[in-house]
Amino acid sequence: MRDLHLRLPQGVPVLGGREVNAETFAFLVVGAGTFVSGAFAITSREIVHTIIYIGAFFAGLATIYFLLQAPFLGLLQLAVYAGAVTILLMFAVMVLRKRIFAREARTALSALPILLALLLGLVLVDLALRAPTYLPGPAYGVGTLSQNLFLVNGGWLLLLGLVMLSALTGGVYLARETRSSSLAREARG
Amino acid sequence: MTGIPPMAYLPEGFVLASTLLVFLADALGAQRRRVFGGISTLLLLGAFLLVLADLRVYPLAALATLPASLVGGPASGPIVFTSLGLIFQGLFLGVALLVALGSLSEGELDPGAAIFYGLLGLATLGMLLVAISADLIFLLLSIEVSTLSTYVLVGYVRRDSRGLEASMKFYIIGALSTAISFFGASLLYGAYGTTSLAAFAFPPAGGLGNLALVGFGLLMVGLGFKLTLVPFHMWAVDVYDGASPPVSALLSAGSKKMGLFAFFAVFIAVVHVFNATEGYALLVALGGLAVVTMTVGNLQALQQHNMKRLLAYSSISQAGYLLLGIAVATPAALSGATLLAVAHVLMKGGAFLVVGAATAAGVGVTIEEYRGLGRRLPVTALSFAILLLSLAGIPLTLGFVGKFYVFGAAVEAGGWFIFLAVAGLLNSALSVFYYGRILRIMYMADAPGEGPEPTREAPPTLGISSTRGVANAPPPRGGVLRAEIRTIGVARWGVILGCAVLTIAFGIYPTPLIHAFNAAAEQFLRLGY
Amino acid sequence: MSIPLVDLLGLSGGLFALGIFGIITRRNFILLLISVEIVMNAAILNFLAFAYYPPAPGLGGVTGQSVAVVLVGLAATEVAVGLAIVLALNRLRGTINVAEAIQLKL
Repeated sequence: MRDLHLRLPQGVPVLGGREVNAETFAFLVVGAGTFVSGAFAITSREIVHTIIYIGAFFAGLATIYFLLQAPFLGLLQLAVYAGAVTILLMFAVMVLRKRIFAREARTALSALPILLALLLGLVLVDLALRAPTYLPGPAYGVGTLSQNLFLVNGGWLLLLGLVMLSALTGGVYLARETRSSSLAREARG
Repeated sequence: MTGIPPMAYLPEGFVLASTLLVFLADALGAQRRRVFGGISTLLLLGAFLLVLADLRVYPLAALATLPASLVGGPASGPIVFTSLGLIFQGLFLGVALLVALGSLSEGELDPGAAIFYGLLGLATLGMLLVAISADLIFLLLSIEVSTLSTYVLVGYVRRDSRGLEASMKFYIIGALSTAISFFGASLLYGAYGTTSLAAFAFPPAGGLGNLALVGFGLLMVGLGFKLTLVPFHMWAVDVYDGASPPVSALLSAGSKKMGLFAFFAVFIAVVHVFNATEGYALLVALGGLAVVTMTVGNLQALQQHNMKRLLAYSSISQAGYLLLGIAVATPAALSGATLLAVAHVLMKGGAFLVVGAATAAGVGVTIEEYRGLGRRLPVTALSFAILLLSLAGIPLTLGFVGKFYVFGAAVEAGGWFIFLAVAGLLNSALSVFYYGRILRIMYMADAPGEGPEPTREAPPTLGISSTRGVANAPPPRGGVLRAEIRTIGVARWGVILGCAVLTIAFGIYPTPLIHAFNAAAEQFLRLGY
Repeated sequence: MSIPLVDLLGLSGGLFALGIFGIITRRNFILLLISVEIVMNAAILNFLAFAYYPPAPGLGGVTGQSVAVVLVGLAATEVAVGLAIVLALNRLRGTINVAEAIQLKL
């Protein structure tokens, strides 16, 4: 492991000369990439670029989940977030279509929010540095996970079902065209 | 969830049944709003009575579906039944009934939109589950069930872009607060190794570390959005203003109590741990939030000209009084906060319905337009006056009793809590100004037409038979009364009157409530969740 | 040696701050939605990090993965509702800029 550390390319941040193995190295690279694509997604001026960046962000997190030995979560993240949510956002942009960023393209970033976010980030990173030292646990198979999910914590899934019921009916109700709303649209031209 | 007989979930079952019935009927194309409104009101009433029976309220006790041995027993799985939880369930169902009845008289909803009652049922179901949860994730998910339904309810009148706009703001803030809450929950999971609320009553193995502290802090922020604590309150005014009055009543009376109970469940047990360890800072934060919330809410309310926004700010300041009970965290304080919560449900639920009634009678949105309401809608105005007096904390009302117990508990606890009580008292005095202004406009000011701002249109039968404007003597003449009921709808009229009557009745004779709440609070504190 | 807990928590903390930053600065609904999703993903990452480093011995860690599964479903559901609201508003008003929606004064 020592020599892997020595063989690291220049410019990769290795904190405090720690020992770095392949896993950690991969995590550092992917984690940095994830953070950067998240930041680009938020600051981008083109809505399409935002969607592409956020897709990369979700995929990067999925990779991290694989590294954390949670392959089921990795797949779920790829399917739900990188797949469904990204495409849903893309569809929304296509439906809304126009001048979404027209007003906002010019907004300059003011100092206060940046300071605030930096402060918050510092507090949380400081928290991470003081985190207690736990030992890595065993890797859980999908069987263990599903037993926990369906038997021990079955209530959570029930509630998730209720949430989805509410979202489904509410979403359909709101998106359903009413006579008055189609009239309003005609009036607007 | 083993060990609890299925019958114990009958109230939740009733509410779920009403929801599914409405959704199914809507999917099949049946959209008779009043029919389904009536059915779901009946089912909600059934659930309400069952909860009262489970609480062993005298004539209903035989109906109880929950074995008495389970109330206050150890948690099995994510669910625990406590007396305090059952009391709050009763409260939530009361709010749901009030909203359902009040909106039956609401004519302005989209025709054929019976889904309102389904979403109302789901929102209520989420609240009911919050009141029996013994697990942090279960609690947060239950809040989510309720909140997600209320997003849609706020934007319910789809042709009104104000409602949809409010819904959009509510959604962003709600989703953000959910995410923050879950982030806090993840830190707590990291500190404690479990998400069971009972575990939080004891510090984790290595002492209350930074993980737990930041976790509790973030949870306080996330739940603070739901309870509309300053500085996380800005959304509330816009949303209460943009939503239709019954939905505002649901948000103010129901959703806020849900946030309150979530605070109870998460923080009451922890406060003792805080007291003993370095978590003292969070305790001070709770007290500080309480004082800031009531003060800012009151100061902002003083400057409002719009009735709904004034009520929203007054609702925010009431959240401060409620939080005071959590910061003090003695059985007396907890029981006082519960009493105040009951009062708040009656007062705020009734007040928002009055706004709806006034709108139906052609009164506009500003306070000035309530001029002379005492003559046009005598019973409604008198009820409104009683509710406002109760909000201000005038003796012989339930609002006074609740505040008296909360402040009394703070003084009794001693130390810096006395300052909290003093701040609360000063704020109560301050609030008399703006409530008094509404009263003066409703009763003392000129009749509509003579004032500087004439109301838009009064229904023809009203205003004709107005007697001389005497402050507290509404004309008991049948004609006015009948016209009033016809204007605002009999269900809404009855609910408003009922709220006022209960406020006075419990204000004069609160003993049974206080006994029940004291016992429930002691049990809750003993269990730790 | 595997990925240190410090790095995981540091990344999730950074993502949390990033999401809050987005909420404060941006006024476009889609961007606000994305910012909230970033915060939510930070929470999910935290749960998985603690599932990897279980704070309690035994099977305590798998609970974290269960929560993560539920949260992924929850967040996706929320996005769907948010988009339904914004579509309905767009139909009426033709804007999805929260700052432009000024009928309700702040």
